Amino acid sequence: MAAAAAVAALGRSLSAALRLPRARPGLPGMALNLYHKNLPKVETLPQVKFLHTTVSRRGLEEFFDDPGNWGEKSVKSGDSWNIKQLRGKSSEDLHKLWYVLLKEKNMLLTLEQESKRQRKPMPSPERLEKVETSMKNIDLVVREREIALRLLQTGHEKPVPGEWRNDFLGRTFWYSYKEWPIPWHLNKKHKKKRFYYLPHVNHFIRLRLEKALRKRARQQSLERTRRKVLERKFPDVAVKSQSQ
Amino acid sequence: MRLSALLSAARPRLPPGYRHGTWPPDSMAARLRNPPGQRRRKIFVEPIAKEDWKVFKGDTVQVLAGKDAGKQGTVSQVVRARNWVVVEGLNTHYRYVNRTAKYSGSYIASEAPLLLSQVCLVDPEDRQPTEVQWRYTEEGERVRVALRSGRILPVPPQPRPDGVVPEQWIDGPKDTSKEDALAKTYRPSLKTFEEEIMDAMGIVETRRAKKSYWY
Repeated sequence: MAAAAAVAALGRSLSAALRLPRARPGLPGMALNLYHKNLPKVETLPQVKFLHTTVSRRGLEEFFDDPGNWGEKSVKSGDSWNIKQLRGKSSEDLHKLWYVLLKEKNMLLTLEQESKRQRKPMPSPERLEKVETSMKNIDLVVREREIALRLLQTGHEKPVPGEWRNDFLGRTFWYSYKEWPIPWHLNKKHKKKRFYYLPHVNHFIRLRLEKALRKRARQQSLERTRRKVLERKFPDVAVKSQSQ
Repeated sequence: MRLSALLSAARPRLPPGYRHGTWPPDSMAARLRNPPGQRRRKIFVEPIAKEDWKVFKGDTVQVLAGKDAGKQGTVSQVVRARNWVVVEGLNTHYRYVNRTAKYSGSYIASEAPLLLSQVCLVDPEDRQPTEVQWRYTEEGERVRVALRSGRILPVPPQPRPDGVVPEQWIDGPKDTSKEDALAKTYRPSLKTFEEEIMDAMGIVETRRAKKSYWY
């Protein structure tokens, strides 16, 4: 109860901190109204171990940008990390870079949400795109290295084995194996699944095939009519496509 | 699947009947003119392949049709979806902007877009309109060549969407320096990413995985 009030008061003081840059000393456990900031610092009570009441909110300021950039209309930022640059980095470097980018992404998302709340434009939203592409590139590089090592050691590309199977409706799909704690002959739910279809389903397979063929024919005739319309409206396009 | 989801999140797909204008697709003007569920007459645009497009922002072109036919100007905006080219100061009409209840607004000249067929690229030395083709130089570089004189028309430097000019760039506190970014620290080994991290952080996994079944 006291803890909930403390967390709510912390949230209110956070939004106050957004408007007022300087952090002020807070109160200890009992009164829990962090607006009264003029009282001296007292050591924390033992039962509220998780509540910060010190000056430095270590960690929380990382959710916000450098205070010099607060209120700016635009913040300049460099390019995102290229795949070629990342391929030359060691695993340690990639690991550290991932968390640096993650913290930056959290900061930018906080900024985006706060600007939505205050109904103001977010300064330089392209920073978020750059961080996301950098993280995507790191993921790609790690995946490439993993696939290369797996191909070398086992000859398989995919991490999880699988096969093409039919379901009870006659459709073919890629079934990838799952990790289970019990063998298949003890798994009642898995045994109820049917990876085969009975002969009466053949009629419906044919209907499905006819539907797909009709859809494809429709798309092709639509493309043909669109091309004819374009040729009628732009005759030189028709001449060029015929000569090629 | 994850990759395509990421890409679609970065660039949201436009609705099928979306009508392009001179405004960016994620602006208030775009949302006003393309409310959801709007169905307008389809505009047919001559299909020009991406590699065949010849006119870029910053090029000098001559207007061939319209009110300012015969005049030359710089291209300030290109809208590929409608084969439009907006030339600075030419083909203008006048309108009021920033109107309020009390203020009638400022009277400004605003340029109307021209179709690609109504403009023509200009030879840099002659300053006469020429036909242009994409050709390859001896080094293998793809360049625009004026057919009449054989001169090369260099493509003007295109501004980046984030407004960064690479020549005038100074690294900020969060930017990695060029040497650090290009430094190669990767040493190929037969360890997986996870194993290398565990070695670096000194994590020793003594737990043994329970027997699990794959099917």
